[in-house]
Amino acid sequence: MTTLARQAGSPFALLMLWQLAAAATAGRFLLAGPVEVLAWLSANPGLVGRALSVTLANAAWGFLTGNVAAILIAAVAMGWPRVLPLLTGLALVVFCLPLIATGPILRVMMGPGNGPQIVLAALAVYYTTLIPLLAGLRAAPAGWFDLVATYGRGRLAELVHIRARSSLPYLLAGLQISAPAAFLGAMVGEFTGAERGLGVLTIRFARDLNVPALWSLAAVAAAISIAAYLAIGAAGKRLQTERPPVILAPPRLSRGSAPDRLGHAGLLAVATLALWWGGMEALGLDPFFAKRPPDLLAALTVAPEAAAMWQALLRAAGETAAFVLPGYAAGLALGAGLAMLLSLVPALAELVTPLAIALRSVPIVTTAPLVVLLLGRGAAGTIALVALMVFFPTFVACQHGLRQAPGQVLDILRSYGAGPLRQMLHVRIPAMLPAFFASARIGVPAAILAVTVAEWLATGRGLGNLMTLSASLSDYTMLWLTVVLATLASILGYAGVAWAERRVLRVFAPEQVDR
Amino acid sequence: MISRSITRRRVLVTGLAGLAASRAGLGAPAAWAQTPVALQLSWLHSVQFAGSYLAVQNGWWRDAGLEVSLLQGGPNAPVEPPVVSGTALVGISAADYTAAAVAQGAPFRIIGVAMQKNPFVIASLPGNPIVAPADLPGKRIGMAVANTPVLQALCSLNDVDFNAVRIVPTQYSAQPLLAGEVDGLLCWETDLPVAMAMQGVRAQTMLMADHGYALHSQTYIATDDSLANRRSELVALMTGEVRGWNAYRADTDAAAELTVAMFPDAGMDLPTQRLQAERQVPLMFSDLTDAQGFGSWTDEAVQANIRTLALLGRSVTPELWDRSILDEVHGR
Repeated sequence: MTTLARQAGSPFALLMLWQLAAAATAGRFLLAGPVEVLAWLSANPGLVGRALSVTLANAAWGFLTGNVAAILIAAVAMGWPRVLPLLTGLALVVFCLPLIATGPILRVMMGPGNGPQIVLAALAVYYTTLIPLLAGLRAAPAGWFDLVATYGRGRLAELVHIRARSSLPYLLAGLQISAPAAFLGAMVGEFTGAERGLGVLTIRFARDLNVPALWSLAAVAAAISIAAYLAIGAAGKRLQTERPPVILAPPRLSRGSAPDRLGHAGLLAVATLALWWGGMEALGLDPFFAKRPPDLLAALTVAPEAAAMWQALLRAAGETAAFVLPGYAAGLALGAGLAMLLSLVPALAELVTPLAIALRSVPIVTTAPLVVLLLGRGAAGTIALVALMVFFPTFVACQHGLRQAPGQVLDILRSYGAGPLRQMLHVRIPAMLPAFFASARIGVPAAILAVTVAEWLATGRGLGNLMTLSASLSDYTMLWLTVVLATLASILGYAGVAWAERRVLRVFAPEQVDR
Repeated sequence: MISRSITRRRVLVTGLAGLAASRAGLGAPAAWAQTPVALQLSWLHSVQFAGSYLAVQNGWWRDAGLEVSLLQGGPNAPVEPPVVSGTALVGISAADYTAAAVAQGAPFRIIGVAMQKNPFVIASLPGNPIVAPADLPGKRIGMAVANTPVLQALCSLNDVDFNAVRIVPTQYSAQPLLAGEVDGLLCWETDLPVAMAMQGVRAQTMLMADHGYALHSQTYIATDDSLANRRSELVALMTGEVRGWNAYRADTDAAAELTVAMFPDAGMDLPTQRLQAERQVPLMFSDLTDAQGFGSWTDEAVQANIRTLALLGRSVTPELWDRSILDEVHGR
């Protein structure tokens, strides 16, 4: 009875908070409370039901294709490690492409229908699954691999018997992160001219100032994402019955030398250019909007307005950097911090987790006015929006990471009477580090995507604004330049985090460091 | 109230579905004669495009041998690429966007003008009204930063010090005005003020077109290639548009009802659509369109557009406007 009351208590508290916030902001067209939401939903069940079925189907297809793609890429990379840097590099490049640019191109290529929504949902998830999965595929004791080698078996046996199992918790973390991302991706995909769905309705109601309707859609999106998150979590608990193993791996001297890395970077650049140029030619995309690498090079060098181009680009990049760096740092700190707090005080989880998922799955068009109210139109609002996007994958990954603390080691600490704080410091945090760094790497492109969307929909500054402005003025050269710039920034940031990661993990989790 | 309007909607929808079904049955033998073309709209379905829906409903395109699909727009759905790539035969653009695309090498011509008067307004609240450009200095105006040149042009047309206006970057919503975060909003006469009216707020609107901001909006654009090689399709498409918009003008309420009934999943609300339909009439119809037909324009209007475009940093020639299709439509 008491557990039941406790379980019912947290959602109830959340609803009360929501209702109080709505009452406090009444008359300002900002927020509708659960009572209004319920009333609107019960008056319009058909409209919401039909829109939800469209968006949910697109999100589900995107979730499925994106995650299957991630698993396939990871399997190929494990079976054939030489292609790993190129494959993950290309995967990163594709993930970095801003949807403001890819959306309209997908629409022109795929025509009316659900194609762009599904692709954008898949693009929103495949990378956040791939990176934890790659970490998980390595998270096994060296002794197990020696055993496979003793039996004379090869990489495939390693993959099937050891890596697949060791990666399971990490895969589940990826899938949990994917659920709200796929839903949001499908909704934003509808902004490219879809006929129906929750995203279409969101645009309509935002403009019509229909606040109850807007928050009803947000509540539906959040509820679906929370349900998917909890379902994947429950499935994960069933699948994982053993305690995590102690991972002992011999410390390795890094053999990945600087020239090697430069070689990889060069190969990646060549492959990206080849795919970009070749892809556009193969699909016969019109050069009016599908700019090729030489077009951009010419615009930045020989064109008469090259200097103005540089100036506009660098100015926007500077504005964006001022938002994205603090937002990224705050998101990482908040995600990891909250995961640790919940590990120490598990009772809070029921209150915090649904709120975190809701914040991740509600489109920015709905929340932006609230953020502006709380934090103003200045930098703080944009930074908070970026932090929210980075926060969620970090939070989920770190929670999973903290659970990877080896049971036997914890037993030893407990037998010496070490309290939860000591366990956290000496066992759980080191066990969390691979997951933390994986999410920190994912966080780089996620932060840049978030800031461009916030700038597009809310603040009208920086690279995101330059992208929409260029698109509306048909300045596709500038649009592609911003895409290249955002992608380069993501990759450089990613490489920076990876550099720090290698140095830390060489000590705490040597199995993760490339051979 | 709600249940009644839903029933009414449902009846209309069922009626339409029946109509479509019978049409499909009857139309089967003639299907080979239908040429599929697409019209790229500039925004979500609404009465903004009701003339096109009337053309569909009355079969005016079908009778002319066209099977027209209306491609919905959206916040991330630019009009120009589908028209350049040929996915859409015609797109709904505006003179400034078209001029920008032409400057980037798009081979566009404006073949019709739906909104003779530009729909941009400064909306304000009655307690703190902005009725003339002279009221602007010192006021906080909320707008997308991208629209700064529009306000700049208005100021220089009216000798108002632009630097004295305080621009607040906001998203496109009436909320900042109603919450008192800004004194005015740069928006369309037909959207945010209508949304406010539905919430019981009678906003003051200053139509920029009444203060020298001459810029054709909701313009029909097509490529040079289409004008040379797909003339009959263009004429048929524009004939349907002209007939549709004439029917719209005859009964805007019926046009609003048709719009809501055709797109039951779009979340439209009939009173909002009715008011919007009413409000766009003075922007689209005038003595000129009475005399020369829907979509027409004068040489003087072109010159005024060129002057406004110059203030926006665009230089175009009168050749951007091409009357030949409308002349054929109107039998000139």
